[in-house]
Amino acid sequence: MFPASQLTSFGIGIGVALAILVLVRKNHLMVTHAVWWLAVAAASMAFGAYPRLIDWIGGVLGIHYPPTLLIVIGMGLILIKMLTMDLKRTEQERKIRALTQRLAILESEMYPRPDQDAAENATSLP
Amino acid sequence: MKNKLAVLIPALNEEKNIREVIQGVRKVITGEIVVIDDASSDSTARAAREEGAKVLPLLLPLGAWGATRTGIRYANQHQFEIAVTIDADGQHQPESIAALIAPILSNQADVVIGSCTERGSIPRKLSWLFFRKITGLGVRDLTSGFRAYNAAAISQLMTSDTALLDYQDIGILLALSKAGFRILEVPVMMCPRSSGHSRVFSSWWDVFRYLVITLILCLSKAGMPAASEYRSEIG
Repeated sequence: MFPASQLTSFGIGIGVALAILVLVRKNHLMVTHAVWWLAVAAASMAFGAYPRLIDWIGGVLGIHYPPTLLIVIGMGLILIKMLTMDLKRTEQERKIRALTQRLAILESEMYPRPDQDAAENATSLP
Repeated sequence: MKNKLAVLIPALNEEKNIREVIQGVRKVITGEIVVIDDASSDSTARAAREEGAKVLPLLLPLGAWGATRTGIRYANQHQFEIAVTIDADGQHQPESIAALIAPILSNQADVVIGSCTERGSIPRKLSWLFFRKITGLGVRDLTSGFRAYNAAAISQLMTSDTALLDYQDIGILLALSKAGFRILEVPVMMCPRSSGHSRVFSSWWDVFRYLVITLILCLSKAGMPAASEYRSEIG
């Protein structure tokens, strides 16, 4: 039987995993993005099920108070995740700008006459 | 067969000025006039079409440089030899276009900037001086949107170096400078806006945002090689 602290970590892991799966199921989250969060959930469950694991890793890395290792790792992973999100957003912004520019040129060729308004005829974005 | 000259006019909510600007350009040049409508909420696009301009209607607002780059993309696709960018607010005088394209036609420069250092407040001039110092660019009027580009520069502006920029100013000049283009600055007269407000400097927050973004841009590009050649006809 797990003690309460272990159950909390294990439960958080299961909750995160279920939430991610539901989000993917409803098409609110891409599968590639889900991989990261499922890994976080798995790690949370692993540390909940095997609390000696963090003590062992802390000992290997020479950290005398192993619970701080969890916080350091957690913050580091959050920073990495945020940076990669901004990298992804930058790439998406580049593509959106290029698409918008190309679309404007295409529309000007589709509706070349002065009495035609490309903006009015264009399909609105969902 | 290459087209000769495209005049690119990025416009956002300029229905009051755009007709006059197009008419002014048409009086002095015979090239194609292209208005890039940056998702205006007024009738800018319709007014431009009625004046006979080619209109590129952006579905999403891309900002000053994004709109200009759409025109540059159009000029590149249609193989124009020269693209002139001119503001839609009536500040730039079309009569000066000849002075901008002359150095390109005579192969003295690849990029020509219509410069008016008399305009602008003291803070703007101080910011020009500051950015000139930290970038090493010799250009005096860093924010002028009145420019002419030759075909090679047009092509260069379609590289990914310029895809994510927000303004047609230092970032563009740094990219062209890094690629070794010849930049020439010629003096031109500019008028005060007849209506509306500046797209870039419409509020103190916008000015602050511009300064911070430009500072980060300058610092990130520090150490890049300077232009192979920069000249100025400003006394």
